[in-house]
Amino acid sequence: MIESIVSYGLAVGAVYAMIGITYNVMFSASRVFSFTSGMLGMLGGVLGALFITKFGLPVVVGLVLVLACGVPIGVITEIVTVRPVLKSLEQHLYVLSTLAFALMVQQLVAIEWGTDAQPFPRLIPIGPGWLDQQFWLPMLACAATIVGLEFLYRRTLVGRAFVAIAEDNYAARALGLPEQGLRVASFALAGIIGMLAGFTGAEMLLAFFGNQSILNFYGFIPVALGGMGSNRGAVFGGLALGLFQQAANFLLGGIFAAVAVFVVFIAILLVRPEGLAGVSTTRRV
Amino acid sequence: MSTSLRTITRRQVLAGSAVSAAALASGFPAPAIANSDPIKIGYLPALTGPSSSTGVGINRGTELAVEEINAAGGIDGRRIELIVRDTQSDPTKAVNAVAELTQRQKVAIIFGPLNSGEALAATPLIARDKVPMIHPCWVDQLIDVKKYPMAFRNAPTNQQIGGAANQYVIDVLKLKKVAVVSDTTGYGTASVDAYVPMLTAKGAEVVFSGHIDAANPDLKPDMLRMRSAGADVIMPWSVNAGFLARILNTRGAMGWEVPVVGQTTLGSGQTKALLEKPEHWNKVYSNNFRNVCFSKDGKLPARAQEFVERLRKAKLDMGDTLLWWIALGYDAPRLMAETIKAAGSSPEQITGYWNKLKAWPGVYGDITFTPELHNGFQDDQVIMCEVNSLRDGAFNLAPGYGA
Repeated sequence: MIESIVSYGLAVGAVYAMIGITYNVMFSASRVFSFTSGMLGMLGGVLGALFITKFGLPVVVGLVLVLACGVPIGVITEIVTVRPVLKSLEQHLYVLSTLAFALMVQQLVAIEWGTDAQPFPRLIPIGPGWLDQQFWLPMLACAATIVGLEFLYRRTLVGRAFVAIAEDNYAARALGLPEQGLRVASFALAGIIGMLAGFTGAEMLLAFFGNQSILNFYGFIPVALGGMGSNRGAVFGGLALGLFQQAANFLLGGIFAAVAVFVVFIAILLVRPEGLAGVSTTRRV
Repeated sequence: MSTSLRTITRRQVLAGSAVSAAALASGFPAPAIANSDPIKIGYLPALTGPSSSTGVGINRGTELAVEEINAAGGIDGRRIELIVRDTQSDPTKAVNAVAELTQRQKVAIIFGPLNSGEALAATPLIARDKVPMIHPCWVDQLIDVKKYPMAFRNAPTNQQIGGAANQYVIDVLKLKKVAVVSDTTGYGTASVDAYVPMLTAKGAEVVFSGHIDAANPDLKPDMLRMRSAGADVIMPWSVNAGFLARILNTRGAMGWEVPVVGQTTLGSGQTKALLEKPEHWNKVYSNNFRNVCFSKDGKLPARAQEFVERLRKAKLDMGDTLLWWIALGYDAPRLMAETIKAAGSSPEQITGYWNKLKAWPGVYGDITFTPELHNGFQDDQVIMCEVNSLRDGAFNLAPGYGA
């Protein structure tokens, strides 16, 4: 039981964490909560199965193509759903625009790909048991993502520019940083991370159009738990969520596991509205 | 006096009119010119959209039957004109199509809708417009002789589907400790709620029953619970291939050789595609129909065998669909043509004929209706099959049935 809770919990938690990071990367650059994060995760699985199973491409080529697809989708998201509503952020129109775009893409996938779950190929034939690739691949991808982002944000000039935009948009622009270009680049990066989450988690979650709403919900929880904009918080929140969900699955079972997750989530937010790892900010009046 | 005189006059006028109408209807001979207008049959398959695989299969049989009837001269020289409206698996589209078929096209009968979701929306409207309908949908509430006196079903009900699975588990496999599970959809929860009391009434012990979130990728916790409860058979009720495949894959990974008995999706190609190993499909038995299954000697019943040969002659593809879908689609126009030929094409004539229909020999199954019962399929025709035996669109009867 413990083995199953740890292996499945951490694996699924890593997928949630990466979707949380996808939310964060887009949020940092635009202050917009883009509900296209779950859509990117769903597409990672569907496109992976399409390229590798249907088209018969090698796994590496399939992975590269899937990640490459994340770039234009991220850019289109920024241009179509975020840029037009940036001027009126306080009206929260982005909820509608990003959700509408995500639902449109989901319907398109339902029509073209089908509404039944389809298999995702086994990429590396190790297992079964806890060594199975479906468990460690999402964890590996999550670790690579967080290390890569930390390196980007702390060690590179472009990364520091991203951080500057996230910290203070106006000040960064006053310094001459190309705010719009950096925002577009952030959405492209989020596209890659979301696709990677979906691709590496697809053997567990299958290539299924319905994964979009699940990933949108469960990917948002790590962000809320870990604090908005905090990638380390998202990883911590995602893994904790995965473990808790799987433990609830064993202890309570059935539909009560999902109820338990939401009860704990609401309880935490009632006690710490800024998230477990977030920092509460004072508002000047 | 004047009042009574007026009353008498009215009555006389009414009576006179009735007599005149009766005289017109019965006394005068019909015109000698034969009516050569085609007979319009409304047809509401889902040929596109998420639930269309059934419709596409049924449609092959329907089109073949109509072609054969028309090639043989139609109904007393009148061709059948099939007015097809694709519901696109969408109840709203089905409702719009009903209005067109009943009010503008004035069809004699409607075949369909072929999916329960669309039939639930369309049946009250077809009943309101007083057009006879026949459909193959399983939801029990779709047939109600009081609310929908002109609606008939040429397929089993959900009660019969669950009843056949329960009967197989208890009477044929002789298993008593049952785990009944479903996903959280309306179909799944309603099935568990309906079938658990049926099992208990038959003397089984339901050691585990519950609804599982189909989005949950890991079903091992629930499966472990079933095993520790002592279940010696699992009965999952879901049309979600992903959910069913996860049950079968988890059973395989646990090395638990418990039989799985349930709905037809267990034997679908979508479920098969999601299995980690082909052997995970062993000891899985799904609903099917006696008339279109291979018996122990590997032969189809004579009527189905003859039908398969006719399909081969017509070069109809069976490899990507199921024989029972094609057979069901083939039976409906033949029944309609026979009805109109024997009784006429008015709604009352059609309904009157169907209300007395007894053991009409379809390829899919024998159909019997009475004025009180418009569910035409017989209990003993619903059986279980071995899902891993699919060939040419048909399955072997599950072990334990007589030849």
